[in-house]
Amino acid sequence: MPNILDILLSPFMIRALIAVVLIAFVASTAGSFTVYRGLTFLVAGVAHAALAGAALAILLDMYGIIPGFPEILGAAVFAIITALIAGYVGRKGESERMEVAIGVSFALTMSIAILLISMIKEYAVRAWGLIMGDILLLTEKDLLLLAITTLIVVFTTLLFYKEFVFVSFDMEGATAYGVRAELYHYIMLLLIALSVVVVLKGVGAILVYAMIVVPAAAANQFSKNTTSVMIWSFFIALFGGLVGLIVAALYVNVAPSAIAGLIVTVFYFIALIFSRR
Amino acid sequence: MVSNTYAIVVENLTVKYGEEVALEDISFKLEHPSFLTIIGPNGSGKTTLLKSVLGLIKPEKGSIKVFNMDVLKDATKARHMVGYVPQRERISTNVPIRVADIVLMGRLARYGPLTVPSKYDVEKVREALELVGMVDFWDKRFSSLSGGQQQRVLIARALAVEPKMLLLDEPFSAVDIPTQREILNLLYNLRLQKNITVVLVTHDVNPVVECSDKIMILNKKLIAYGKPDDVIKDDILLKAYGVAVKIIAHEGICYVLSGDTHA
Repeated sequence: MPNILDILLSPFMIRALIAVVLIAFVASTAGSFTVYRGLTFLVAGVAHAALAGAALAILLDMYGIIPGFPEILGAAVFAIITALIAGYVGRKGESERMEVAIGVSFALTMSIAILLISMIKEYAVRAWGLIMGDILLLTEKDLLLLAITTLIVVFTTLLFYKEFVFVSFDMEGATAYGVRAELYHYIMLLLIALSVVVVLKGVGAILVYAMIVVPAAAANQFSKNTTSVMIWSFFIALFGGLVGLIVAALYVNVAPSAIAGLIVTVFYFIALIFSRR
Repeated sequence: MVSNTYAIVVENLTVKYGEEVALEDISFKLEHPSFLTIIGPNGSGKTTLLKSVLGLIKPEKGSIKVFNMDVLKDATKARHMVGYVPQRERISTNVPIRVADIVLMGRLARYGPLTVPSKYDVEKVREALELVGMVDFWDKRFSSLSGGQQQRVLIARALAVEPKMLLLDEPFSAVDIPTQREILNLLYNLRLQKNITVVLVTHDVNPVVECSDKIMILNKKLIAYGKPDDVIKDDILLKAYGVAVKIIAHEGICYVLSGDTHA
């Protein structure tokens, strides 16, 4: 068995470690507002829309319609369109109406995704890569994109923190007190959509939900204020990701994101049991 | 200037949602300070009227002035005069937020992004929470409070912006009768002692009649507007609700808690 330290210090592992830290930042910022707004389903919806977008990009590239069309761009366009449609339906703050819109677009984009993937059989493995995700296969380019997006998400969240909290708490009241609630509503949704797209490649379309939503949901069970949710969800996501990588380093065939997903859900259930609410 | 003494002046207001008329040709003037209760059946446009006064809805026709400022053209200035208390049901309990931070929220909203509260802001928050009797709950999480306590905190948030007028949407929904009375007395005393105009929307007029200077009965159109004695009449209520409605004014509900009533 190779020395675990050698594995942990190999370039792909270092890239994965950096990715885990970045994902933890996204989980604590975009993730906590997803939970406050009651829009956790948006993460799943956007992730599957991104998959359809990536599949379309692969198709356009494969048939030479737009050669070299980047998957991530296709994914981002579909993700953003989904988030904006859901946002438009819920622009007055009705999360329930958004859930239905997200559900419908989920069905639509998933159908498109499966249709497209069936048309690109030889390259379907590229699309499947996004469904499963692999944090150990991230390239330097992927990492750079993740870093830039994380920076944008964290910076914007801190800049409009007070406004985001107000809008999440009481959208109508926020408007009445002079906050441009609708604008912040859309900014929040865009940040969530972008976060999902960049995290997708590392953890996959299904587990992106685990990494973005669950740490914040767990932290929200026991936190008294929003700062505490941010700090705790960062560490829960980080811990889950690190344990995932260490397990993957010890047992080569284990998917790190799956371990991370298990760890953070365990945190959620523990928090649920011990929260006094 | 005479017009300065009006808290609200509405002229020929018509509001439509698509093709559906929500409010039709409403005109009224409300003196400052006064206590106005707006009643009417469900879907009669009560909340729409409140939102129009806040400048949140663009009317099809007509104009609204708050303290002589047009709510659409002078939106920011007009809103600074008003503290708004939305329906509690529309507020998310997912956000872990302290009572003090909620009350601070309304003040800070006016400063724009990246501002930190000054000592003066915190002082105003404390004063507002003292007024509603919730200062001991400063550090408590909002979602852990009872319905009545949450309502008081939302009123404190509205008071912390030092408004000349409070607008409240169904402040008595889902709170028990003793709490209703406490909140009503609080509002009554704000009008009496702090010279704040109070405008509230409710579907249950019974407890409010005695406290009100003016009552408005709304059913898309202005059915009646005036002093309680002139408005609360069987034929008027029948016209508004379509069925006979009995209003029983509870005696002695509105009383002055303390201090000088001739403020």
